[in-house]
Amino acid sequence: MVAQPVQKVFPLTLKITNLPSSNSSRPWRIPVRIDCYLSHIKMAGLSFDNFQRNQYIASKGVAMPKATSTGTTIVGCKFNGGVVIAADTRATAGPIVADKNCEKLHKLSPKIWCAGAGTAADTEMVTQLIGSNLELHSLYTNREPRVIASLTLLKQHLFKYQGHIGAYLIVAGVDPTGAHLFSIHAHGSTDVGPYQTLGSGSLAAMSVMETQWKENMTKEECIKLCADAIEAGIWNDLGSGSNVDVCVMEVGKDAQLLRNYITPNIREQKAKSYKFKKGTTAILRESIYNLVDVEETEIPVPMEVDA
Amino acid sequence: MSDPSSINGGAAVAMVGKDCVAIACDLRLGNQSLGVANNFEKIFNYDHTFLALTGLASDVTTLSEVFRLKTNLYKMREERSIEPETFANLVSSTLYQKRFGPYFIGPLVAGINSLTGKPFVCGFDLIGCIDYAKDFVVSGTATDQLYGMCESLYEPGLGPDDLFETISQAFLSAVDRDALSGWGAVVYVITKDKVTKRLLKTRQD
Amino acid sequence: MNGVSVDINHLKKGEVNLGTSIMAVTFKDGVILGADSRTTTGAYIANRVTDKLTQVYDKIWCCRSGSAADTQAITDIVRSYLTYQVGSDNFERPASVNVAASIFQELCYNNKDNLTAGIICAGYDEEKQQGEVYSIPIGGSIHKQDFAIAGSGSGFIYGYCNENFRKNMTRDETVNFIRKSLGQAIKWDGSSGGVIRMIVLTKAGIERLIFYPEETYLVPKEFEIPQAA
Repeated sequence: MVAQPVQKVFPLTLKITNLPSSNSSRPWRIPVRIDCYLSHIKMAGLSFDNFQRNQYIASKGVAMPKATSTGTTIVGCKFNGGVVIAADTRATAGPIVADKNCEKLHKLSPKIWCAGAGTAADTEMVTQLIGSNLELHSLYTNREPRVIASLTLLKQHLFKYQGHIGAYLIVAGVDPTGAHLFSIHAHGSTDVGPYQTLGSGSLAAMSVMETQWKENMTKEECIKLCADAIEAGIWNDLGSGSNVDVCVMEVGKDAQLLRNYITPNIREQKAKSYKFKKGTTAILRESIYNLVDVEETEIPVPMEVDA
Repeated sequence: MSDPSSINGGAAVAMVGKDCVAIACDLRLGNQSLGVANNFEKIFNYDHTFLALTGLASDVTTLSEVFRLKTNLYKMREERSIEPETFANLVSSTLYQKRFGPYFIGPLVAGINSLTGKPFVCGFDLIGCIDYAKDFVVSGTATDQLYGMCESLYEPGLGPDDLFETISQAFLSAVDRDALSGWGAVVYVITKDKVTKRLLKTRQD
Repeated sequence: MNGVSVDINHLKKGEVNLGTSIMAVTFKDGVILGADSRTTTGAYIANRVTDKLTQVYDKIWCCRSGSAADTQAITDIVRSYLTYQVGSDNFERPASVNVAASIFQELCYNNKDNLTAGIICAGYDEEKQQGEVYSIPIGGSIHKQDFAIAGSGSGFIYGYCNENFRKNMTRDETVNFIRKSLGQAIKWDGSSGGVIRMIVLTKAGIERLIFYPEETYLVPKEFEIPQAA
């Protein structure tokens, strides 16, 4: 009996999909699907790999690092024929101002926008995720996305995570059914109303809303009211500050984002410069790298032909 | 044991200048108050995109390798190097993937977009929230001191040489008031076609 | 939580609470549901015009108390279940109040460790031509009653309701009974307040009512303005 040779299997199989055609602009390119064999890339969704490790570390009585939170003032208000949302632009990490001009107004779809308070990364990521699902849904159904649909997607996602995703949102927008305004809490509960406020400055903003709000406002009145409510948060809440961002969504029109609509906290220009003379800093070693590759290409010169 | 992100110590800063960016880090690796190494660089480059990682040293090393893998795969698929803005989103989603068991790090990204020539810096929190800044970003155990130094020393529109002096002086002054950072420092000044890496002369205590 | 003593007052930190006064009462022609309109996060009133009366099927509604997120999630599930399964055209008969309440009960019982939800499910049964009220308190038991009260404010009005409820009241008598009961609950319970909302479910259809504090239910008797005829 002849011993069969043992077939060696290379652990990383390379599948060559469509081979390049001869007239390809990049003839040397062979598309190779490697990524699907690498767990890092393949994994979709959240990974809980480090959870146990961190729980162990936490059990030793260690303080966990703080994530950036948007200790925030966000508001929303409906007007005759549309809806306005607004936010301040301060991001904090504990007592430190992490970002003086961050964006808290997120786009879910061209005419549905969302203001976020709570854990900054959560508001950003949950908005991106639901925004992407909303676009797929609108492509599938061949219809403009609806505010109620985005509200349902958001609340079901947040409820699933039982409040561990710290996103507090004011969702607003216009769709074929009209203008809508909602708020969502991290645990997944939602509220409806003609005006909404959320975040650490919501109390200051609500005091403005409760005193100034009236029925059947014009667009301009509504923008003013929202900006005033945010300003109340900027001045009276430590977690809120810097500028006012506004987004106006009007029925039958494109949404318009008014970034830094009001900037009441511009830093005064420094009277003198702190520029240092060249050579102030003592150096031990210096090395220089070039970032451009030098490529030499021979260009065939066409032969001159005598007439 | 204290906060995981301040066991090993370390600090980093990045600044925007005129057609240039600078990014700096210290070289200390410690175990609480005990200094362990003075050659632990916290800045990594993926072609023309630079990444500073402060925080828990094991996570710094792990993540720098994860991003090496991911940027290499990106390069194979796209047949070009990753741009700083794209890399920032890669860092963000990689960190958020571990939302409920995060890496204890504070990353900074700096670079110049090779297509538009626009300087770019940004910072992150440990779960991937991007802090887009038009001036400077800071990270590490000397964060408070760095914010103070940068707020006072920084001015917009500095050229590569001026930017080097400003970032270096801001960084050295900040790090000298942090017991867990120091033991040497490196500064990268990045322009469209050239990277200058300088090793600074610093206190060694 | 050890199974024997269950902490019914636990809420996840920072969770939105419906510290509530809700009730549903059967009467001659059907059933009326009533609720206050206050939603709280700690000491802050997150919403003063909340609608805690939620429709799950044509003439089957419910009053929600406990966690806002939990009760909304449950009612959303029950509504979709009744609309697309039990009550759909594939079935011979439309969904009954009994079936709706049973689905609520099933959900509340199976997930009792993770839920803080006290629900009153009430509706007009088209087949039996009568109103029905089912109370499903925290823990997931189910109780068919002539009338039911629930929520933090209900503790103040057990005596009043027991003394004043009569079977087969008229519509106006029932509305007045609920208005006075909830008026007292709101008065004494700090986490109930705002307006009183009602839903009247009869053979004739669905009717919504609203009562404002200053002009209806919080006016002391001696200052009450006589109603114009």
